[in-house]
Amino acid sequence: MTEPLPLELSHVHKRFKTGFLSLRTATAVTDLSLALRTNEIVGILGPNGAGKTTTLKMVTGLIFPTAGEVRLFGEPVHRRAARARMGFLPENPYFYDYLTAEEFLHMACGLADMPLAGRQERVTAMLKRLGIHHARALPMRKFSKGMLQRAGLAAALIHDPDLVILDEPLSGLDPIGRRDFREIILDLKRAGKTVLFSSHILPDVEDLCDRVAIIVKGRLREEGALTDLLEHGTRNTDIEVRCEPARGELLAREFPTLDCASTLAGFRLGVPVGENLQELLGRLIALNLEIVSVRPHRLSLEDLFVAHAEGAPPEAPPEREARDEGAKSAPDGEPKSAPDGANQEVES
Amino acid sequence: MIRPVLAVVLNTYREVVRNKILYAILFYAVLLVLTGHFFADVSLNQERRILFDVGLGLISLFAVVLTLFAGTSVIYKEIEKKTIFLIVPRAISRGQFLLGKWGGLFLSMAVIITAMFAILLAQVMFLKLRPEVALFKGVLLVYLEVALLIAVALFFSSFSSPVITGMLTIGFFVIGRLLPDLKQILFTKYQADGFRAVAEEVLQVFPHFYLYVPSGHDLNGRSLSLTTDFVTWSYVGWAFLYTVLGCALILIVAAGVFRRRDLA
Ligand SMILES: Nc1ncnc2c1ncn2[C@@H]1O[C@H](COP(=O)(O)OP(=O)(O)OP(=O)(O)O)[C@@H](O)[C@H]1O
Ligand SMILES: [Mg+2]
Repeated sequence: MTEPLPLELSHVHKRFKTGFLSLRTATAVTDLSLALRTNEIVGILGPNGAGKTTTLKMVTGLIFPTAGEVRLFGEPVHRRAARARMGFLPENPYFYDYLTAEEFLHMACGLADMPLAGRQERVTAMLKRLGIHHARALPMRKFSKGMLQRAGLAAALIHDPDLVILDEPLSGLDPIGRRDFREIILDLKRAGKTVLFSSHILPDVEDLCDRVAIIVKGRLREEGALTDLLEHGTRNTDIEVRCEPARGELLAREFPTLDCASTLAGFRLGVPVGENLQELLGRLIALNLEIVSVRPHRLSLEDLFVAHAEGAPPEAPPEREARDEGAKSAPDGEPKSAPDGANQEVES
Repeated sequence: MIRPVLAVVLNTYREVVRNKILYAILFYAVLLVLTGHFFADVSLNQERRILFDVGLGLISLFAVVLTLFAGTSVIYKEIEKKTIFLIVPRAISRGQFLLGKWGGLFLSMAVIITAMFAILLAQVMFLKLRPEVALFKGVLLVYLEVALLIAVALFFSSFSSPVITGMLTIGFFVIGRLLPDLKQILFTKYQADGFRAVAEEVLQVFPHFYLYVPSGHDLNGRSLSLTTDFVTWSYVGWAFLYTVLGCALILIVAAGVFRRRDLA
C-alpha cells in the first residue's frame, strides 16, 4: 500500500489525572483502535461523556494518549508535518473576541503556512462559502452561535486539508445551517477528502457517513459500514399486500407461519427470519394478490445506539417494533390480535 | 515555517494593544513620565540628571508592570478560553507557539516603550536640553530587560496558573535586580566556605535583571549613574548578548515543558 492511511489510532488509552495533587485518575478512553481510509466519511457516535471529544483531542495533538499511538498520514501526530494536512473544528469553538472574522481567517492562513499572495482571495471565498461574508468586519464577540460555528469551519478548511476533523459540527445550527454544513461535508467527500466527525444526532450520521464507530464509556463498541451494522440487526421482513379484507381468512390459512395484520388497504404479513422469501412471494403472486411493498424490517441506528448506550447486547430492542405494530393497527379498529402476534413472534 | 510564528506574533500583539486596560495604565505612565522630574527638588544643574534618571526609571517601571500584566496571563487565557484549540492542532509546534507569544509580547512592549521614550525625548527638547547618547543606551537596556522578563513569565506560564506565574516572575525579577546586594551580603556574612560557593552558584542561575537598571551596578558590581559614568557601548553589547542567550535558553526549556502538557 503506497498512500498511508489518513488517520490511524492503535490501542489508544487516555487516563486523566484529576483531584487534589492529581492523585485520582479518570479513564476517558480505553483501548480504542480505528483507521480511516482515504475519502470516506466516518462518524464517531456516542452519548454524552463517551469520550468523543477526548478522542478527537488526541487525534489533533491537543492531548497525549496515556498509551497507544495516533498517526496522521503515517506520521505520529506530534510532528508538525503530520498535522499540516489536517483541519479541525473544535466543539463549540471559542475565538479571540478582539478579532474580526476576516482577521481570524488571515491568522488561520498564516498558521497553515500559506504564502501571503492569494490569502485574501481564499479568505473571501471561504467567508462567502460559509455565508458570513457580510459580517467579515465584525468583531467575533458579536457573532451568534451559528456564525461562530461557520467561522470555525471556514478556518478549519482554509488550507484545503486532506483530513477534516469536526467535533459536533452540526450542534447549535438552525435547519439552514445544518443543510449548509452537510452540503459542505458531502462536497469534501466529492473532492476526495477524508472526514471524521463526532455526533450524537443520529440522522446526521445516518445519511452522511460511510462508516460509524460507536463509543460508549470510552470503549469502541461497534464499528463498520452503516448498512452492515444495521444489516446484522435485521429482524424480519414485512410484505404489504392490497386486497379486500375478506381475504384475510384465506391468508391466515395459507400462511400459518406469518404474522398477518390488516392495514387500510389490505394486510401486512410479517415474515420471520429464515423463511424462504422468494418462494413466499411466488405463492402470493400465484394467489393473485397485489404486492405493495417488501421491506426488510431493520434495526434502526437509533435502536443500535440506545442498545449500546444502555449496555445491552445489540440485537435486543424488541419493544419498539411491538409499539409500531400497535400504533399502526389501531386506526383500523381491528381486534388487537396483531400486536399479540407480534409479541409472540419476538419472544420466540 | 516562519509564517505560523508570525501569525502568533501578530495575534498576540493585537491582543495586547486592543486591551482597554492597557490604555488606562499607559495614561498614568505618560502622566508620570511627564511630571516625574517635578517630584525632585530641581536646581538647574540637577535638572538634567533627574529628568534622565527619573524618566528612564519610570519607563522601565511601567514596562515591567505592563509586561507582568500581559505576560503572565497570555498562555493561561489561551487555554482557559480554549482558543488554543484553534492553534495547536495546526502545523505549528508548541515551541514555535511560545516563540510567537514571546515575539508578540515583545513587539507590543517595544511599541509602548518607544512611545513613552518619544514623550521623554519631546520633554527633553522642550526644556532645551541636549538629548544625550546615555538616554538611548538607557532605553535600549529597558528593551532588553523586558525581553528577558517576558521569557521568564512565559517559562512559568508553560506549567502554572497566572497567580503562581505572577508570583514566581515577580520573585525572580526582584532577586535578579538585587543580585549584587545579595552577593554582597553573602560575602560579608559568610566565610569563604562550601556554603558560600554553592550559594553564589545558585544566585548565578537567576536572571541578571540588575544589568538593565539605568543607574545601578555593572557586571563587576561597580555602581553606575546615568549621566556621569554611564555604561559604555560594549556594556550594552554584552547585555544584549546575555539577553539573547538567556531568552533562548529559557524559551527552549519552556518549550520542553509545554510540549508535554495536555491542553484540555
Ligand atoms: N481534562 C479532563 N480531566 C478529567 N476528565 C476529563 C477531562 N476531559 C474529559 N474528561 C472526562 O472524560 C470523559 C469523556 O469526555 P468527552 O468530553 O470526551 O465526552 P464526549 O463524548 O465528547 O461527550 P459530549 O457528547 O458531552 O461532548 C468524561 O467522563 C469526562 O468527564
Ligand atoms: Mg464532546
